[in-house]
Amino acid sequence: MVNKEINIRVSREEDANYLFSWLNDPEVLPWFPLDNAREIEDAIRIWLSYREIGAAFTICLNDIPVGMAVIYLHRYKKLRHQSLFAIILDKNFRSQGLGSKLMHHVIEAAKKNFGLEILHLEVYEGNPAKSLYQRLGFKEYGRQDCFLKEKNGIYRNKINMELEL
Amino acid sequence: MKDSENLIDSNDFNIRYTTQSDEPYLKKWLEDPEVAKGFSFALEEERDEFLKIWMGYVRFKCSLTATYKEVPCGIATLFLMPYVKLIHQSMGYLVVDSLFRRKRVGTSLVRNLDHLAKNYFKLERLHFELFGETPLEPLLEKLNYKKLFTQQKYVKEGSSYLPRIVLEKVFKDGQ
Repeated sequence: MVNKEINIRVSREEDANYLFSWLNDPEVLPWFPLDNAREIEDAIRIWLSYREIGAAFTICLNDIPVGMAVIYLHRYKKLRHQSLFAIILDKNFRSQGLGSKLMHHVIEAAKKNFGLEILHLEVYEGNPAKSLYQRLGFKEYGRQDCFLKEKNGIYRNKINMELEL
Repeated sequence: MKDSENLIDSNDFNIRYTTQSDEPYLKKWLEDPEVAKGFSFALEEERDEFLKIWMGYVRFKCSLTATYKEVPCGIATLFLMPYVKLIHQSMGYLVVDSLFRRKRVGTSLVRNLDHLAKNYFKLERLHFELFGETPLEPLLEKLNYKKLFTQQKYVKEGSSYLPRIVLEKVFKDGQ
Protein backbone atom coordinates (compact mmCIF):
# COMPACT_ATOMS: atom_id res chain seq x y z
CA MET A 1 0.00 0.00 0.00
CA VAL A 2 3.07 2.26 0.13
CA ASN A 3 2.93 5.30 -2.19
CA LYS A 4 -0.61 4.54 -3.19
CA GLU A 5 -3.21 7.20 -2.77
CA ILE A 6 -6.58 5.94 -1.61
CA ASN A 7 -9.67 8.00 -1.99
CA ILE A 8 -13.39 7.37 -1.78
CA ARG A 9 -15.80 9.40 -3.87
CA VAL A 10 -19.38 9.26 -5.07
CA SER A 11 -19.59 6.85 -7.98
CA ARG A 12 -19.64 8.08 -11.57
CA GLU A 13 -21.33 6.77 -14.69
CA GLU A 14 -17.97 5.65 -16.08
CA ASP A 15 -17.43 3.35 -13.08
CA ALA A 16 -20.01 1.03 -14.64
CA ASN A 17 -17.35 -0.71 -16.73
CA TYR A 18 -15.35 -1.62 -13.64
CA LEU A 19 -18.45 -2.81 -11.83
CA PHE A 20 -19.41 -4.95 -14.81
CA SER A 21 -15.98 -6.58 -15.01
CA TRP A 22 -15.96 -7.35 -11.26
CA LEU A 23 -19.49 -8.79 -11.24
CA ASN A 24 -18.98 -10.73 -14.45
CA ASP A 25 -16.01 -12.59 -12.96
CA PRO A 26 -16.92 -16.31 -12.63
CA GLU A 27 -15.34 -16.35 -9.16
CA VAL A 28 -17.47 -13.41 -7.99
CA LEU A 29 -20.82 -13.92 -9.70
CA PRO A 30 -21.82 -16.89 -7.50
CA TRP A 31 -22.01 -14.50 -4.55
CA PHE A 32 -24.60 -12.31 -6.26
CA PRO A 33 -28.17 -13.11 -7.36
CA LEU A 34 -27.21 -12.44 -10.97
CA ASP A 35 -26.77 -14.91 -13.77
CA ASN A 36 -25.96 -13.26 -17.08
CA ALA A 37 -24.84 -10.03 -18.74
CA ARG A 38 -28.37 -8.70 -19.09
CA GLU A 39 -29.04 -9.15 -15.38
CA ILE A 40 -25.67 -7.66 -14.45
CA GLU A 41 -26.36 -4.61 -16.61
CA ASP A 42 -29.78 -4.23 -15.03
CA ALA A 43 -28.29 -4.46 -11.53
CA ILE A 44 -25.60 -1.91 -12.44
CA ARG A 45 -28.23 0.50 -13.78
CA ILE A 46 -30.09 0.29 -10.45
CA TRP A 47 -26.84 0.45 -8.42
CA LEU A 48 -25.56 3.54 -10.20
CA SER A 49 -28.91 5.31 -10.03
CA TYR A 50 -28.11 5.82 -6.32
CA ARG A 51 -25.07 7.96 -7.18
CA GLU A 52 -27.51 10.76 -8.05
CA ILE A 53 -28.41 11.01 -4.36
CA GLY A 54 -24.86 10.41 -3.20
CA ALA A 55 -25.50 6.87 -2.01
CA ALA A 56 -23.14 4.97 -4.33
CA PHE A 57 -19.43 5.09 -3.56
CA THR A 58 -16.24 4.17 -5.36
CA ILE A 59 -12.92 3.53 -3.68
CA CYS A 60 -9.93 4.36 -5.88
CA LEU A 61 -6.23 3.61 -5.74
CA ASN A 62 -4.33 6.34 -7.55
CA ASP A 63 -7.65 7.37 -9.11
CA ILE A 64 -8.36 3.88 -10.46
CA PRO A 65 -11.58 2.30 -9.12
CA VAL A 66 -10.92 -0.85 -7.11
CA GLY A 67 -14.19 -1.25 -5.27
CA MET A 68 -17.71 0.08 -4.97
CA ALA A 69 -20.57 0.15 -2.49
CA VAL A 70 -24.17 1.26 -2.61
CA ILE A 71 -26.79 2.07 -0.01
CA TYR A 72 -30.16 1.13 -1.48
CA LEU A 73 -32.05 3.91 0.28
CA HIS A 74 -35.75 3.18 0.66
CA ARG A 75 -38.11 5.66 -0.88
CA TYR A 76 -41.02 4.64 1.31
CA LYS A 77 -41.42 6.81 4.41
CA LYS A 78 -41.93 3.94 6.87
CA LEU A 79 -38.70 2.28 5.75
CA ARG A 80 -36.39 5.26 5.37
CA HIS A 81 -34.66 4.71 8.73
CA GLN A 82 -33.03 1.49 7.51
CA SER A 83 -31.42 0.32 4.34
CA LEU A 84 -29.84 -2.57 2.53
CA PHE A 85 -26.36 -2.06 1.13
CA ALA A 86 -24.01 -3.93 -1.16
CA ILE A 87 -20.26 -3.87 -1.65
CA ILE A 88 -17.81 -5.30 -4.16
CA LEU A 89 -14.03 -5.18 -4.37
CA ASP A 90 -11.74 -5.93 -7.28
CA LYS A 91 -10.40 -9.38 -6.40
CA ASN A 92 -6.85 -8.22 -7.09
CA PHE A 93 -7.09 -5.71 -4.25
CA ARG A 94 -8.55 -7.84 -1.48
CA SER A 95 -6.95 -8.30 1.95
CA GLN A 96 -5.40 -4.84 1.85
CA GLY A 97 -7.85 -3.09 4.14
CA LEU A 98 -9.71 -1.45 1.27
CA GLY A 99 -12.98 -3.26 1.88
CA SER A 100 -12.88 -2.29 5.52
CA LYS A 101 -12.11 1.33 4.60
CA LEU A 102 -15.01 1.44 2.17
CA MET A 103 -17.33 -0.16 4.72
CA HIS A 104 -16.41 2.43 7.36
CA HIS A 105 -17.12 5.15 4.80
CA VAL A 106 -20.53 3.61 4.02
CA ILE A 107 -21.41 3.33 7.70
CA GLU A 108 -20.46 6.97 8.34
CA ALA A 109 -22.39 8.16 5.28
CA ALA A 110 -25.40 6.09 6.33
CA LYS A 111 -25.45 7.81 9.71
CA LYS A 112 -24.42 11.35 8.85
CA ASN A 113 -25.70 11.88 5.32
CA PHE A 114 -28.86 9.83 5.40
CA GLY A 115 -29.77 9.59 9.10
CA LEU A 116 -30.09 5.83 8.93
CA GLU A 117 -30.55 3.86 12.12
CA ILE A 118 -29.93 0.40 10.70
CA LEU A 119 -27.85 -0.96 7.83
CA HIS A 120 -28.48 -4.48 6.67
CA LEU A 121 -26.95 -6.77 4.13
CA GLU A 122 -27.38 -10.11 2.43
CA VAL A 123 -24.46 -12.48 2.13
CA TYR A 124 -24.47 -16.01 0.78
CA GLU A 125 -23.18 -18.84 2.92
CA GLY A 126 -19.52 -19.52 2.22
CA ASN A 127 -18.71 -15.99 1.09
CA PRO A 128 -15.49 -14.98 2.89
CA ALA A 129 -16.78 -11.38 3.08
CA LYS A 130 -18.98 -12.49 5.99
CA SER A 131 -16.03 -12.31 8.39
CA LEU A 132 -15.45 -8.67 7.42
CA TYR A 133 -19.08 -7.87 8.19
CA GLN A 134 -18.82 -9.64 11.55
CA ARG A 135 -15.65 -7.70 12.43
CA LEU A 136 -17.55 -4.48 11.74
CA GLY A 137 -20.30 -5.49 14.16
CA PHE A 138 -22.96 -6.86 11.81
CA LYS A 139 -25.12 -9.50 13.49
CA GLU A 140 -27.00 -12.28 11.78
CA TYR A 141 -30.76 -12.07 12.22
CA GLY A 142 -32.04 -14.65 9.79
CA ARG A 143 -31.30 -17.19 7.10
CA GLN A 144 -33.07 -18.25 3.97
CA ASP A 145 -32.13 -21.72 2.83
CA CYS A 146 -31.84 -22.36 -0.90
CA PHE A 147 -32.40 -18.70 -1.72
CA LEU A 148 -30.25 -18.87 -4.85
CA LYS A 149 -30.38 -21.68 -7.34
CA GLU A 150 -27.62 -21.91 -9.89
CA LYS A 151 -28.24 -23.42 -13.32
CA ASN A 152 -26.27 -26.50 -12.28
CA GLY A 153 -28.76 -27.07 -9.47
CA ILE A 154 -26.51 -25.84 -6.66
CA TYR A 155 -28.37 -23.89 -4.00
CA ARG A 156 -26.98 -21.11 -1.84
CA ASN A 157 -28.34 -20.08 1.53
CA LYS A 158 -28.76 -16.39 2.21
CA ILE A 159 -27.65 -14.95 5.52
CA ASN A 160 -29.26 -11.67 6.58
CA MET A 161 -27.16 -9.41 8.79
CA GLU A 162 -27.70 -5.98 10.29
CA LEU A 163 -25.90 -3.26 12.19
CA GLU A 164 -27.58 -0.72 14.44
CA LEU A 165 -25.83 2.58 13.80
CA MET B 1 -74.64 -13.38 4.29
CA LYS B 2 -74.20 -14.11 7.99
CA ASP B 3 -70.96 -13.42 9.82
CA SER B 4 -70.56 -17.04 10.75
CA GLU B 5 -70.97 -18.24 7.20
CA ASN B 6 -68.03 -19.92 5.54
CA LEU B 7 -68.07 -18.03 2.32
CA ILE B 8 -66.08 -20.63 0.42
CA ASP B 9 -68.90 -23.15 0.86
CA SER B 10 -71.25 -20.83 -0.98
CA ASN B 11 -72.07 -21.36 -4.64
CA ASP B 12 -71.66 -17.62 -5.05
CA PHE B 13 -67.97 -17.80 -4.14
CA ASN B 14 -65.37 -18.21 -6.85
CA ILE B 15 -61.66 -17.84 -7.44
CA ARG B 16 -60.40 -16.78 -10.83
CA TYR B 17 -57.35 -15.13 -12.35
CA THR B 18 -57.05 -11.45 -11.55
CA THR B 19 -57.85 -9.06 -14.38
CA GLN B 20 -56.96 -5.41 -14.84
CA SER B 21 -60.60 -4.59 -14.11
CA ASP B 22 -59.97 -5.65 -10.47
CA GLU B 23 -57.62 -2.71 -9.91
CA PRO B 24 -60.27 -0.34 -8.42
CA TYR B 25 -61.06 -2.99 -5.78
CA LEU B 26 -57.44 -3.50 -4.85
CA LYS B 27 -56.99 0.27 -4.71
CA LYS B 28 -59.98 0.62 -2.41
CA TRP B 29 -58.72 -2.10 -0.05
CA LEU B 30 -55.21 -0.63 0.08
CA GLU B 31 -56.72 2.74 0.96
CA ASP B 32 -58.10 1.25 4.18
CA PRO B 33 -55.74 2.52 6.94
CA GLU B 34 -55.99 -0.81 8.76
CA VAL B 35 -54.91 -2.66 5.62
CA ALA B 36 -52.14 -0.15 4.93
CA LYS B 37 -50.56 -1.05 8.28
CA GLY B 38 -49.72 -4.43 6.81
CA PHE B 39 -47.77 -2.95 3.92
CA SER B 40 -44.64 -0.85 3.53
CA PHE B 41 -46.29 2.17 1.92
CA ALA B 42 -47.48 5.13 3.95
CA LEU B 43 -48.09 8.05 1.62
CA GLU B 44 -50.68 8.23 -1.13
CA GLU B 45 -48.07 8.32 -3.89
CA GLU B 46 -46.30 5.34 -2.34
CA ARG B 47 -49.56 3.41 -2.23
CA ASP B 48 -50.29 4.23 -5.86
CA GLU B 49 -46.82 3.08 -6.86
CA PHE B 50 -47.24 -0.16 -4.92
CA LEU B 51 -50.63 -0.70 -6.55
CA LYS B 52 -49.05 -0.23 -9.97
CA ILE B 53 -46.32 -2.77 -9.16
CA TRP B 54 -48.92 -5.24 -7.82
CA MET B 55 -51.15 -4.93 -10.87
CA GLY B 56 -48.07 -5.29 -13.09
CA TYR B 57 -47.93 -8.98 -12.13
CA VAL B 58 -51.45 -9.65 -13.36
CA ARG B 59 -50.33 -10.17 -16.94
CA PHE B 60 -48.25 -13.16 -15.86
CA LYS B 61 -51.36 -15.01 -14.62
CA CYS B 62 -49.81 -15.25 -11.18
CA SER B 63 -52.60 -13.43 -9.38
CA LEU B 64 -55.92 -14.76 -8.12
CA THR B 65 -59.09 -12.89 -7.25
CA ALA B 66 -61.76 -14.22 -4.92
CA THR B 67 -65.27 -13.13 -5.86
CA TYR B 68 -68.62 -13.26 -4.13
CA LYS B 69 -71.58 -12.91 -6.46
CA GLU B 70 -68.97 -12.03 -9.10
CA VAL B 71 -67.71 -9.03 -7.12
CA PRO B 72 -64.05 -9.15 -6.03
CA CYS B 73 -63.55 -9.65 -2.28
CA GLY B 74 -59.84 -10.48 -2.11
CA ILE B 75 -56.66 -10.80 -4.16
CA ALA B 76 -53.55 -12.94 -3.71
CA THR B 77 -50.55 -12.54 -5.96
CA LEU B 78 -47.15 -14.06 -6.54
CA PHE B 79 -44.55 -11.32 -6.90
CA LEU B 80 -42.44 -13.38 -9.28
CA MET B 81 -38.68 -12.89 -9.19
CA PRO B 82 -37.10 -11.35 -12.28
CA TYR B 83 -33.65 -12.97 -11.97
CA VAL B 84 -32.78 -16.49 -13.16
CA LYS B 85 -31.21 -17.59 -9.86
CA LEU B 86 -34.29 -16.51 -7.93
CA ILE B 87 -37.14 -17.73 -10.09
CA HIS B 88 -37.59 -20.90 -7.99
CA GLN B 89 -39.01 -18.85 -5.13
CA SER B 90 -41.34 -15.92 -4.71
CA MET B 91 -43.06 -13.57 -2.29
CA GLY B 92 -46.82 -13.74 -1.94
CA TYR B 93 -49.11 -10.82 -1.14
CA LEU B 94 -52.69 -11.03 0.03
CA VAL B 95 -55.47 -8.59 0.79
CA VAL B 96 -59.09 -9.32 1.69
CA ASP B 97 -61.95 -6.84 1.73
CA SER B 98 -62.61 -5.95 5.38
CA LEU B 99 -66.28 -6.98 4.96
CA PHE B 100 -65.19 -10.49 4.01
CA ARG B 101 -62.76 -11.26 6.81
CA ARG B 102 -63.07 -14.41 8.95
CA LYS B 103 -65.07 -16.11 6.22
CA ARG B 104 -62.15 -18.22 4.99
CA VAL B 105 -61.60 -16.06 1.91
CA GLY B 106 -57.94 -15.57 2.88
CA THR B 107 -57.51 -19.29 3.54
CA SER B 108 -58.98 -20.19 0.19
CA LEU B 109 -56.86 -17.61 -1.62
CA VAL B 110 -53.62 -18.79 0.01
CA ARG B 111 -54.46 -22.47 -0.70
CA ASN B 112 -55.10 -21.63 -4.35
CA LEU B 113 -51.99 -19.47 -4.54
CA ASP B 114 -49.94 -22.36 -3.13
CA HIS B 115 -51.36 -24.59 -5.84
CA LEU B 116 -50.60 -22.04 -8.55
CA ALA B 117 -47.08 -21.55 -7.21
CA LYS B 118 -46.27 -25.23 -6.94
CA ASN B 119 -47.98 -26.68 -9.98
CA TYR B 120 -47.98 -23.93 -12.59
CA PHE B 121 -44.91 -21.87 -11.76
CA LYS B 122 -42.99 -24.86 -10.32
CA LEU B 123 -41.89 -22.75 -7.38
CA GLU B 124 -39.97 -24.53 -4.66
CA ARG B 125 -40.56 -21.97 -1.92
CA LEU B 126 -43.14 -19.30 -1.25
CA HIS B 127 -42.72 -16.50 1.27
CA PHE B 128 -44.98 -13.96 2.89
CA GLU B 129 -43.70 -10.90 4.72
CA LEU B 130 -45.75 -9.45 7.54
CA PHE B 131 -45.25 -6.25 9.49
CA GLY B 132 -45.99 -6.65 13.18
CA GLU B 133 -48.89 -8.66 14.49
CA THR B 134 -51.48 -9.45 11.87
CA PRO B 135 -54.28 -12.04 11.56
CA LEU B 136 -52.48 -13.31 8.48
CA GLU B 137 -49.78 -14.92 10.61
CA PRO B 138 -52.00 -17.58 12.29
CA LEU B 139 -53.75 -18.13 8.96
CA LEU B 140 -50.44 -18.86 7.25
CA GLU B 141 -49.22 -21.04 10.11
CA LYS B 142 -52.43 -23.05 9.87
CA LEU B 143 -51.56 -23.60 6.22
CA ASN B 144 -48.12 -24.94 7.17
CA TYR B 145 -46.08 -21.80 6.64
CA LYS B 146 -43.14 -21.65 9.04
CA LYS B 147 -41.64 -18.52 10.50
CA LEU B 148 -38.26 -18.03 8.88
CA PHE B 149 -36.93 -14.93 10.62
CA THR B 150 -37.90 -11.66 12.22
CA GLN B 151 -36.23 -8.42 11.24
CA GLN B 152 -36.71 -6.08 14.19
CA LYS B 153 -37.35 -2.36 13.68
CA TYR B 154 -38.00 -2.81 9.98
CA VAL B 155 -40.94 -0.39 9.91
CA LYS B 156 -40.96 2.95 11.70
CA GLU B 157 -44.13 4.89 12.32
CA GLY B 158 -43.56 8.01 14.36
CA SER B 159 -41.27 6.86 17.13
CA SER B 160 -42.45 3.27 17.22
CA TYR B 161 -41.17 0.30 15.27
CA LEU B 162 -42.66 -2.86 13.83
CA PRO B 163 -40.77 -6.01 12.91
CA ARG B 164 -40.82 -7.68 9.52
CA ILE B 165 -41.69 -11.33 9.86
CA VAL B 166 -40.97 -13.64 6.96
CA LEU B 167 -42.82 -16.95 6.70
CA GLU B 168 -42.05 -19.68 4.23
CA LYS B 169 -43.62 -22.77 2.78
CA VAL B 170 -41.32 -25.28 1.13
CA PHE B 171 -42.78 -27.18 -1.81
CA LYS B 172 -39.51 -28.81 -2.80
CA ASP B 173 -36.48 -28.88 -0.53
CA GLY B 174 -33.30 -28.44 -2.51
CA GLN B 175 -31.02 -29.18 0.46
